[in-house]
Amino acid sequence: MKIVSFGDGACEKTRRYLDSYISNELLVETNHEVLRHVETCASCAAELEARTRVRRRLKSAVESQAVPPDLPVRVRERIRSQGSRSAWTFGSTRWAAAAAMAVLVMAIGVRTWSGHRLQPLPGITDRPAQDAYIQRISQTISSMLSPGLKDHVHCAIFRKYPRNPPTPDQMVETIGPQYAGLVQLVKSKVPERYRIVMAHQCGFKGRRYVHLTLRDGGHLVSLVIARKQPGETLANLQPSMRTSGIPLYQSAAERFEVAGFETDQYLAFVVSDLRDGRNLQIAQNLAPAVHGFLAALA
Amino acid sequence: MFFSHKPRTEDFEAAALPHLGDIYRTATRLLADSTKADDVVQDVYLQAWKSFDKFEPGTNCRAWLYKILFHTMHHYRRKWLNSRIVKESEDLIEQTVAWTPPVPDQLTDEEVLAALDEVPPDFRAVVLLVDVEEFAYKDAAAILNVPVGTVMSRLSRGRRLLRERLAGAAGQYGIGRQEGYTA
Repeated sequence: MKIVSFGDGACEKTRRYLDSYISNELLVETNHEVLRHVETCASCAAELEARTRVRRRLKSAVESQAVPPDLPVRVRERIRSQGSRSAWTFGSTRWAAAAAMAVLVMAIGVRTWSGHRLQPLPGITDRPAQDAYIQRISQTISSMLSPGLKDHVHCAIFRKYPRNPPTPDQMVETIGPQYAGLVQLVKSKVPERYRIVMAHQCGFKGRRYVHLTLRDGGHLVSLVIARKQPGETLANLQPSMRTSGIPLYQSAAERFEVAGFETDQYLAFVVSDLRDGRNLQIAQNLAPAVHGFLAALA
Repeated sequence: MFFSHKPRTEDFEAAALPHLGDIYRTATRLLADSTKADDVVQDVYLQAWKSFDKFEPGTNCRAWLYKILFHTMHHYRRKWLNSRIVKESEDLIEQTVAWTPPVPDQLTDEEVLAALDEVPPDFRAVVLLVDVEEFAYKDAAAILNVPVGTVMSRLSRGRRLLRERLAGAAGQYGIGRQEGYTA
């Protein structure tokens, strides 16, 4: 193999070990040797910094890729339909196989019939049906993402909107001085076609929210923010992506998609019926700025 | 016995689904194609589910899924690429060894990923496993079914090739090439 000269022997040896040093794969003694050299050699220190930076940059770029929001659902569906076929290992008799196959066909049929049908939304004045609907769909996602879903459906979906949206001054007033900056901030981070149609503080089932709703044609998108309750964190979920180092978590519940992120003090959710990654895209646009805003409040 | 019970889907989903994002992102970068990655990931999870009774609870589920990913990838590569996997010659790689290009900070995620996609697949795979997914050398070796020494050499070359591609991308903006750095 071609030996590459980096100058004196210590530098050459150090650089040969740098890859393993960065991967944390060196023995303790060798690790110390590399560290000692790097502390006294500006050139090797710069080389180490450069390699580490590339690694960090790569990791961040790969983790920024969005995972299709419906992929977990599709994977689960395939596993479960396969599971229906293989959950039991059959004996060798033909009648058993035939009987089991009949059960399987029925099971798949029932599943297909019931799994892909969206129930109509309850009427706008039918509060008990709305509560039952919210209760039902919020059980299908993580309890940590459900507050955003619940408030979006309760407050943004089951609502009549005035013909003319409130003015910026009215929104600043209804959302309160502490969160007033969010109105302009959100507006600047979403495509122009999204209009803010509501910005206020609201409550559902005893929990308070800061809530902004945007409309694009027939789609409503909510940014729902809640102060964390003791022990609440999204960190136990698997992030779908990271944006500017902020993990974004997402899930789907019936026709809605929920993307969440958190600061030390707040949970924030972007909820809508936008599909094909568009809800997550909006969350990705909003998260860095909203995260910064909320972190500054805390 | 007439029927024998297999593992429950709930157990499998609890163990395997938390790694879905990582598996998808790695597949996307290995194939440089998110649509194909979507197909691969579904196949990986189906294969994993079928052999979940062989998985030992308490062992590394993530590494196990990655092993299945690379096994599945091997099949897809043959199907889609329908060509031999081009490996860069030692000479070409060695030409890059003496150059330590500057690291561009200004590149976007898309540009970084495009540079990664240009790294030959065998090297890219090791860089993804070690640098992005943070597998230990021995785990990466087991996933790829190669010796640890091969992981080390591919990692070193993969990192260097990536850095070269990144510097090339930065050069298009007039970023980075400093005095003293020569090819």
